Amino acid sequence: MNHNKIKKWIRLSLYGELTNEEQSVLELHLKDCDECRNELEQQRNLLSLISDKKNEIDDKLLMEARAQLRGAIRNERQHKGYFDNVMQYLNDLTTIPFRAVLSGAALLVIGFFVGYLFYGSSTIDPNKLPDKTNNQFSVFQDDVTISNINFIDSDPSDGEVEFTFVAMKPVYLKGRVDDPKIQSILTYSMLNEQNPGTRFNSINAMYSERPIKFDKDVKDALITVVMTDENPGVRREALKLMKKLPYDEALKQAFIYVLTTDTSSGLRIEAINALVDAGKKGFTLNKNEIDLFKQKLQTDDNSYIRYRTKTILQEYN
Amino acid sequence: MALSDSELITQAKSGNDSAFEELIFRYDRSVLAIAFKFVHNSDDAKDIYQEVFIRVYRGLKNFEMKSEFSTWLYRIATNVCLSNKSRSKKQLYVSIDEQNESEDDESVNVELADNEMDPAELMANLDLSDIIQDAVDSLSSKQRMTFILKHYEGYKIREISDMLNCKEGTVKKYLFDAIRNLRKKLKPIHQTA
Repeated sequence: MNHNKIKKWIRLSLYGELTNEEQSVLELHLKDCDECRNELEQQRNLLSLISDKKNEIDDKLLMEARAQLRGAIRNERQHKGYFDNVMQYLNDLTTIPFRAVLSGAALLVIGFFVGYLFYGSSTIDPNKLPDKTNNQFSVFQDDVTISNINFIDSDPSDGEVEFTFVAMKPVYLKGRVDDPKIQSILTYSMLNEQNPGTRFNSINAMYSERPIKFDKDVKDALITVVMTDENPGVRREALKLMKKLPYDEALKQAFIYVLTTDTSSGLRIEAINALVDAGKKGFTLNKNEIDLFKQKLQTDDNSYIRYRTKTILQEYN
Repeated sequence: MALSDSELITQAKSGNDSAFEELIFRYDRSVLAIAFKFVHNSDDAKDIYQEVFIRVYRGLKNFEMKSEFSTWLYRIATNVCLSNKSRSKKQLYVSIDEQNESEDDESVNVELADNEMDPAELMANLDLSDIIQDAVDSLSSKQRMTFILKHYEGYKIREISDMLNCKEGTVKKYLFDAIRNLRKKLKPIHQTA
């Protein structure tokens, strides 16, 4: 029997990967072969040595990973959801569907182009022409920005050209902060605006001392922001608004997430204060969460947080 | 009675988020363990974990249950691990899709020979678990992934070949090469142990 093959079989045997027949052949060979018995012993020792180094995943890491995943999935879901809502709302603001506006506007532009071709180079001021689309959103208004013109047919030989473009118009909106449409726009903004100041203001605009009824999407978005926004000021503003919402399991998990992972001690303090308040109202912690707090009590570098953690363990027990 | 994976998948596809959570929580500890053993960094492991389950979340609607959910999931997990660009950029990982069967054994062997240390010095300077981890980390990405799935996670070679989307013979080759390299790397302590 080939020793190299036997050595491979020894490895497979140690992992239980040999068939009964192969195992029998191997054992028969080992009876008569010192070299291969020695090889078996060495392989066994090696794998046993490496087996000592098993890294079990601790619960804290798993909980952190799950919390981050929840935030990422919520974000994933909301990006599409908010986009749909906002588009729907913008459509509501115009009297006819957006696509029809663009089609009408494109026809007008085609008309100008054909007129230019047939009647020479006289200057055409589009603003002086009648608006044939006859609707509230005309692409020839001063505040409309046109961009991304893509030609479908740029050959004027048959008298027509065809293209698409994007027309953007600033929209003025004034309304009550508990209006779901207002909340929908602000929620979209807090998740998607690039400018952190705008994200901050979008959250701040919903903060009021008066009781406000918030849509569930607002709560989900705030949790996402507090877990994922790169700007600590924006995260803090989200946390502040979260404290105004009715306390529930999702908020508790978000506060715990901030307490255990956020690098800003100010945010961790806000989070632990929220948890202490909830404890006073009779909310409870499960064993894993209590263990996390006990760990926090030992490890947080901020003495106030350690002190409050102690309080929280008393409040919840 | 607990629902089966396929029942949870059906519910998750129709938008039941609790079903999706229940489904992934059956496997996520194992995925995180594989990721952590592969990259040896908590942040990178969490990034991989998140990437895996976001891909699962996005892809579930197209999952037709022709294979086991776990096989599909671990295939995604191994691919994400193998294509992971570490935050710390300590290592360069290659994709499983790059069908370079020759592997980089020679370079590994050269490195191993250079890195062999006096056992006493090794034991004095490093924790045993660090030495073993270094040895595992020194394996090529495919060898390392195969070794982790086999040795630490206990999957059958057939299952690993499904996960890595390659033949069983290829998995055996990765495994044998991994063991040979580990043996060489750990020779000093292995002999003293």
